[in-house]
Amino acid sequence: METISPNDILAKAETLRNSLSTGFRDEIVKSIYSEAERVAHRAVKTASDKKYDLDQKIDRLVTSPWTGLPLMLVLLGIIIWLTVSGANVASEAIANLLFGLGDLGRNLFNQIGAPWWITGFIWDGVYLGLAWVISVMLPPMAIFFPAFTFLEDLGYLPRVAFNLDWLFKKAGAHGKQSLTMAMGFGCNAAGVVATRVIDSPRERLIAILTNNFVPCNGRFPTLIMLATVFVASAFPPALTSFIAAGTVVGVVLIGVAFTFFMSWLLSRTVLKGEASAFTLELPPYRKPNLGRILYTSIIDRTIFVLWRAMQTAAPAGAIIWILANIPYGDANLARAIADWLNPFGLILGLDGVILLAYIIAIPANEIVVPTMMMVYMGAGMMIDGPGTSAGIFDLLVNGNGWTMLTAVNLMLFALLHNPCATTIMTIYKETKSWKWATVSVVITLGLAFLVTFLTASVARLLGWA
Amino acid sequence: MYYLAAVITVALILFLPRIGLLARIKDYRAAKEREQMEDALKHLLDRENQGRHATPESIAGTLDIARDKVTRLIENIEAQGLIESRGNNLHLTAEGERWALHVLRAHRLWERYLADEARMPLNKIHGEAQRREHNFTEAQLNELDAALGHPIRDPHGDPIPSREGKMNRAEGMSITAWQADRPARIVHLEDEPALAYQQILAAGLRLGQDIRIIEKNPNRYILSDGESEFKLAPAVASNIFVSAIPESEMLKREAIPLTELAHDQRAQIVMLDDSVQGFTRRRFLDLGLTPGTTIFPELTNFFGEPRAYRVRGTSIALRNDQAAQIWVKPV
Amino acid sequence: MTNIKINLPTEHCETCPAFTQLEQMGIKVGDFDRVIALAGNPNTGKSTLFNALTGLKQHTGNWPGKTVTRAEGGFQFNHVKYKLVDLPGTYSLLSASQDEEVARDFILFGQPSCTIVVTDATALERNLNLVMQVMEITDKVVVAVNLMDEARRKGIEVDARSLARDLGVPAVPVTARTGEGIATLLSTVAEVIEGKIAVKPMRVEGTPEFQKAVNELVPMIESMAPGIPNARWLAIRLLDGDARVQKAITSGELGGIVQRQRQADAQFSRKMSVEGRQ
Repeated sequence: METISPNDILAKAETLRNSLSTGFRDEIVKSIYSEAERVAHRAVKTASDKKYDLDQKIDRLVTSPWTGLPLMLVLLGIIIWLTVSGANVASEAIANLLFGLGDLGRNLFNQIGAPWWITGFIWDGVYLGLAWVISVMLPPMAIFFPAFTFLEDLGYLPRVAFNLDWLFKKAGAHGKQSLTMAMGFGCNAAGVVATRVIDSPRERLIAILTNNFVPCNGRFPTLIMLATVFVASAFPPALTSFIAAGTVVGVVLIGVAFTFFMSWLLSRTVLKGEASAFTLELPPYRKPNLGRILYTSIIDRTIFVLWRAMQTAAPAGAIIWILANIPYGDANLARAIADWLNPFGLILGLDGVILLAYIIAIPANEIVVPTMMMVYMGAGMMIDGPGTSAGIFDLLVNGNGWTMLTAVNLMLFALLHNPCATTIMTIYKETKSWKWATVSVVITLGLAFLVTFLTASVARLLGWA
Repeated sequence: MYYLAAVITVALILFLPRIGLLARIKDYRAAKEREQMEDALKHLLDRENQGRHATPESIAGTLDIARDKVTRLIENIEAQGLIESRGNNLHLTAEGERWALHVLRAHRLWERYLADEARMPLNKIHGEAQRREHNFTEAQLNELDAALGHPIRDPHGDPIPSREGKMNRAEGMSITAWQADRPARIVHLEDEPALAYQQILAAGLRLGQDIRIIEKNPNRYILSDGESEFKLAPAVASNIFVSAIPESEMLKREAIPLTELAHDQRAQIVMLDDSVQGFTRRRFLDLGLTPGTTIFPELTNFFGEPRAYRVRGTSIALRNDQAAQIWVKPV
Repeated sequence: MTNIKINLPTEHCETCPAFTQLEQMGIKVGDFDRVIALAGNPNTGKSTLFNALTGLKQHTGNWPGKTVTRAEGGFQFNHVKYKLVDLPGTYSLLSASQDEEVARDFILFGQPSCTIVVTDATALERNLNLVMQVMEITDKVVVAVNLMDEARRKGIEVDARSLARDLGVPAVPVTARTGEGIATLLSTVAEVIEGKIAVKPMRVEGTPEFQKAVNELVPMIESMAPGIPNARWLAIRLLDGDARVQKAITSGELGGIVQRQRQADAQFSRKMSVEGRQ
């Protein structure tokens, strides 16, 4: 028998294809759909359209000029306010508990006569790093993720994409970029993966490269702490949580503004091109299932992210303890590196310790605050206890010469700086190109340096700092 | 010590094989030369398709290079056996034609890609494709061809040469063989003999015109474009080549773009515009935007777009420039 | 410069066949007896059904909320262990977007024992498009008509029996949120795999010209890879100029599938006869 080779088949297919009328694809899809219509018509009986009318009424409200945009801001504000105010109390309680346990452990080790360096390495290094990460991160995540998942399951997010698409179009980007940004609030690496919903490679790259301008949950604690300790402390206690939440919302909006600006810039320079197909399904609203929300947001998201943060926090804590205990000149190695970075930090309105913390925190942004605190605390203990606003304020301002400018610029730096190592790897995996992974770092870091340098210079020129 | 290190570094940067500066300059020049040669071949093919001959002058004009360089270029190509010169006229050899068709195929496939997948505006794709058409192997082109779903025409409507280097020319038939009363579009005006061609042009007929045969008898043909009539001798008329007006255009005449549909106004999809190709068309079809489907706008963004349309039980948001490519008939 | 990346198939492990994938993951093939794929349009409650079946034992860090890459979970039903693979939600398998390629490649090359297509009872017509495309690739299909509670609220009645009769494959009404109909769905899936329910998927005829072309290609494909279950679908894809399928034909990937499927079946019946469950 004559065997048929693959090439024979391809050649035959090509001949047949050329003999068919054009619009083959159109015909296939059309006949499938007409079959589907026939089958569905026989199997489905529709009585009324009540529920659909309700959906439409909600949609009119959610997308109208007078209620649509304000509603988006209000929802963002509510989520952040819930996160800030809830996290404040919980963070303090967890910090007190964990630091108390740390003291007990240290005492125990001292009593059994362990060498100082074992006690120090374990309790002042690894344990302290973990304690900071858990107390700073767990509460905001445990509140933010369920709230966010609730909106997601409700079906609200596609409406946000619908509302904002026009702006994205003006910036040369895709409306679904807002969905990936929403993911970025949870984790930028997840946001980068989520860009797969955008079909055009050009618009997808824009979404990938700008996703980092949305502060992820690893960076939220930094923003929340600074907003609470520096901005809100100037107001009466009753207003604290509102002012702090307002400040964080403000920072988020600055990030969104940078996203639009950078998308616009990219689509007019290196990523030129036309808009691609924009098709967005607006699914019916669905009653979220609370059990499922709690499960996905706590187990799949909170614990998952926290675990990842702890894996970097433990070695980071160890490294800082070692650096802080290697004598160098008058002080220790950590100080020496911080001092060496200090002039550069001051130009940006930051300081050497902050830059050191960001270098150590390249694997995960979550450990920026813990690292800073550990280096600062090496120089002097907190008076009011580690978890309280007053204690942190005292340590930073009186102990280490922070000003309002430091706080503002750190917030800006936290918003704009380079993606964490996980995100960079994800960008590489998604684009299969080191070039774009590098570009994502250069853009963000360059912008962070530029913006902080400008604000610091302006503030100094005007005599504010 | 430092001096020596500096010398070695500079020497490495300059002379390193493949990645050194000199090697790169050489690569660049070789690529440039090949580009020029391919452009020249394509020009020859183009001229041959038009039934004219290419000359060194025409090459110099099209490629925008100096006359003396053209001479060297032609000698070079001739040495490779791709062209022959007869007097001042240049001809492609069989091998040369194969190569030219390869480049033309690359060019038109790239145009298709840029228009459909990268969604570049039509006026920009030619230049971009001009830059990208070079240095492709047959296998790479086949891959591109497959990825695009084996398109037959480029976005300007010109045929794309097939894998074997065959080209389906826009044919059409002579109007003398055309059925009276059936509307037709002029697709080609034969320029030989020149006298007949002059008469056709003088009568006011032009390419792309839609016409209809009013009267035909052994003595004369009367054609009409709806406004004026054209009288021609059958011998002259036989030099007019026509084909059917695309069905899509007939359909479009009775339809409106989806963007013009009023809120909650139900309509039936008539067709997707021919300009929607590639990924966008596939997406539209998959969403069920097939001819005959009922659709109506149910939600408009406060910026004016996108608008959400209900189609097959689901709300789908589209931007206006895309919705404008969907032709509908209100019901 | 515009980033030029033609959407050519990549070597993601989404394209690996399920049985090989298991070995790669260090899980013994014996850990699962059967592999089931879960396909469906976006927003049909596919993930809810996935969780309802696997009992929330999903260790994928299903981060982006919507499944962008495939998630896997396992469950046991009537002493048979199933691995459930959640495919990305797609409207179709034709557009060759990244998601669609993941879904299609798994159904085609992963050769699941059965594919559940989740549909939205409130928008059945749209959802049937995907059902019919899946039925072109594989016979072993069960349609889960999900969101029955929502349909009832909206006053929509779905006659699953009429649906099953027309489609030629079982259709089971379910409400994944409450667990209604899940047991029936599972026993139906088991019976389809065991061959106790005969499936005869409806095939879309198309124009005569189209049928003639398909009928010319099918015998050629069948003689190249004897026993291939979806020659008709492959022929249609070739006529449409599908780059991925062309590559699969030339690389001999398709012949391998048939071979692997037979081995897996033989292995399963051996195991079942030893343990006396069949």
